[in-house]
Amino acid sequence: MQIQPSDLGLIARVTTLAKRYGSGSGAVSALEDVSIGLRRGEFTAIMGPSGSGKSTLMHIMAGLDSPSSGRVWLGDTEITDLGDRELTLLRRRRIGFVFQSFNLVPTLDVRANVMLPFDLDGRRPTAQERAWIDELLDTLGLTARVTHRPHELSGGQQQRVAIARALATRPDLVFADEPTGNLDSRTGREVLALLASAAAKYGQSIVMVTHDPIAASHADRVVFLADGRIVRDAGRSGAEQISTYMLAMEAAA
Amino acid sequence: MSRLRDQAPTLLVAGLAAAFGVALLQITGILTAIITSQNGFSESATVQLMLGLVAAVFIVIAVYVSAIVTSNTVATVVAGRTRLIALLRLIGASARTQRVAIAREGLLVGAAGSVLGALVGTAAAWGIAEIGMAQGSIPRAEYSLLSPMLLLPVAAVVLTTWLAAWTGSRRVLAVRPAQALGDANEADFDEVSARRGRAVAAWVLAVLGVGLLALGVLVGLVRPEGVLLGLLGGILSFTAVVLAAHRVMPPVLRLVGRMFGERPPARLAAENAVRHPERSARMTIGLVIGVTLVTTFAVTMETYRSMLLDATDDRADLQASIGPVIDATVAVFSTLIGFSAVIAAVGLVNTLSISVMQRTRELGLLRALGFDRTQVRVMVLVEAAALTVAATLTGLALGIAYGWAGAQSMLGSVGAGGTGVGLVAPVIPWPVVGVVVAAAAVLTLAASVAPMRRAVRVAPVRALAID
Ligand SMILES: Nc1ncnc2c1ncn2[C@@H]1O[C@H](COP(=O)(O)OP(=O)(O)O)[C@@H](O)[C@H]1O
Ligand SMILES: [Mg+2]
Repeated sequence: MQIQPSDLGLIARVTTLAKRYGSGSGAVSALEDVSIGLRRGEFTAIMGPSGSGKSTLMHIMAGLDSPSSGRVWLGDTEITDLGDRELTLLRRRRIGFVFQSFNLVPTLDVRANVMLPFDLDGRRPTAQERAWIDELLDTLGLTARVTHRPHELSGGQQQRVAIARALATRPDLVFADEPTGNLDSRTGREVLALLASAAAKYGQSIVMVTHDPIAASHADRVVFLADGRIVRDAGRSGAEQISTYMLAMEAAA
Repeated sequence: MSRLRDQAPTLLVAGLAAAFGVALLQITGILTAIITSQNGFSESATVQLMLGLVAAVFIVIAVYVSAIVTSNTVATVVAGRTRLIALLRLIGASARTQRVAIAREGLLVGAAGSVLGALVGTAAAWGIAEIGMAQGSIPRAEYSLLSPMLLLPVAAVVLTTWLAAWTGSRRVLAVRPAQALGDANEADFDEVSARRGRAVAAWVLAVLGVGLLALGVLVGLVRPEGVLLGLLGGILSFTAVVLAAHRVMPPVLRLVGRMFGERPPARLAAENAVRHPERSARMTIGLVIGVTLVTTFAVTMETYRSMLLDATDDRADLQASIGPVIDATVAVFSTLIGFSAVIAAVGLVNTLSISVMQRTRELGLLRALGFDRTQVRVMVLVEAAALTVAATLTGLALGIAYGWAGAQSMLGSVGAGGTGVGLVAPVIPWPVVGVVVAAAAVLTLAASVAPMRRAVRVAPVRALAID
């Protein structure tokens, strides 16, 4: 009997992951021997200097890119060798995304953007799901905005809509890539607090890529990458502690 | 640098318009030469004038449509270059300089296109003449392919392409240097300009035009001169439609879009088709013009035929000779107008491709959220279908109305025993409608093949990319 990631309390897991771009002398190694498990209900931050492989790792975990070697699980599903069709369904039903910018479909209003994952599945949300979505919109302060189009919203509001959409299907895992990268610091803090409370209050598993120590300080766990390897895996840390470590890491490089 | 590739559609459109114009004039010249050699000069002068006038009308239509298409293509290309333009503005280039540069590109491309087109048109005319003469279907005659008249369509195409590039590049002025810093490509919802003057002009023309059309029909019940009023009314009211296309087409597009259902790909496609009212108007109006003209002409002739048949009830010999003449006229004229529709279609294919290409990130986002490849394909196909169906329906509706008014105002007073045929229902030329609908279906497929291929190739990661 094989041990499943869920037996370990993990929502996602990669083992001995490697990713190389190109071949021959021009080859770039973006990830090398990365193994990590993300725990259910946890808010994990992935940090590291530019080019350290953060985005590559996230793309592979989300099934957006395939590894050169190693294995990838989401829940108990091994997704390493899934085809486009299965990965698409996986993204639709079990993954949520929040990007740095351009998160919303410009031609759809707020409600339609949030409902899109259900529409794509060709189903109406159940009464329970509808109540959940209303609660989300309410918590995120979007109730009065549901008929607005993205271009009528501020950056922070757009990001909150993206969070509502990412949480709407109660996915196994929400991926956020620099979600505060385009926001001013106050709005950024609000967005981070929302993500943190989604994990704390609703047990939503979230993984966030960032290079901002303040952003990472909202997470339950901070994983550091450098040159495609995990160099540190720490619990909740203060922003100062994180910056000190980052500076030391850059000095060592 | 993609600048030259951006201009390929404009080159093609200018080339087509010039080829059409030159071929038409060359064929006119050859026909005149044949008639002169057969019947002497005096008679041929009138024929030449008539043929020349007919050719001029069709050339003007083709050049007009190609100008609309080119200005739309340039506007779309400029929208796609917003980032680059903003960057150049940021480092100190003036908007005017950049606009002048785009217009100059238009001039060069227009010149190249019309020279190439002139060569192709001449070759085509020469080929048709030589084949005809070799087969003996037309009599052999000496003809020249170097008439100075040929410079007219060539110059017209160069000038209109230049002008169209200038008009289409108006957007450059609206690009703010700061757009180089943010993601500017997606936020261009503000294109609808509330230009009052245009709206007022459109209303005035519409009211005047429809009034004249109605008057023409009434006068036509007693005198055939009613057709002149009707013609004027037609031109005025149709100009109103073209002027107000950005208001007329989006509702039609919405209505058509709803036909495709409420599923996400169809709903997004319908929204995409109207997201830039100005752009959708320009994308479709060329096709509307083409379909309207073809349909108007065919409905007029068909209604005319049925009126003539009624009026000549007692003359079986006459009736037998009416059919073929009308059939041939409809065929020749529909083909000539159809060429403008082809130019419009090229424009639609281009703009759709470009606008899909410009939506790479949005497509990536949809893929990341769980759109599968089939849904992406359906979305592009439905967008193309919404555009062509809306244009075709509008054209057919206008064409049937105009065609009926035309026939009615011309022939309402003609009839057996001087009583006139009175008001009759329009006769729909089903074969022509069939051809138009089939052509629209082919166009939909043609317009969506390339964008579909590109769209499904967009990787979901593109949504995460910052640039
Ligand atoms: N598509 C690609 N082709 C080639 N090299 C790539 C590609 N994507 C990323 N890389 C390289 O892989 C390394 C890791 O990149 P990335 O994961 O984007 O880092 P980060 O997100 O931490 O800045 C970098 O050296 C980058 O240049
Ligand atoms: Mg990155």
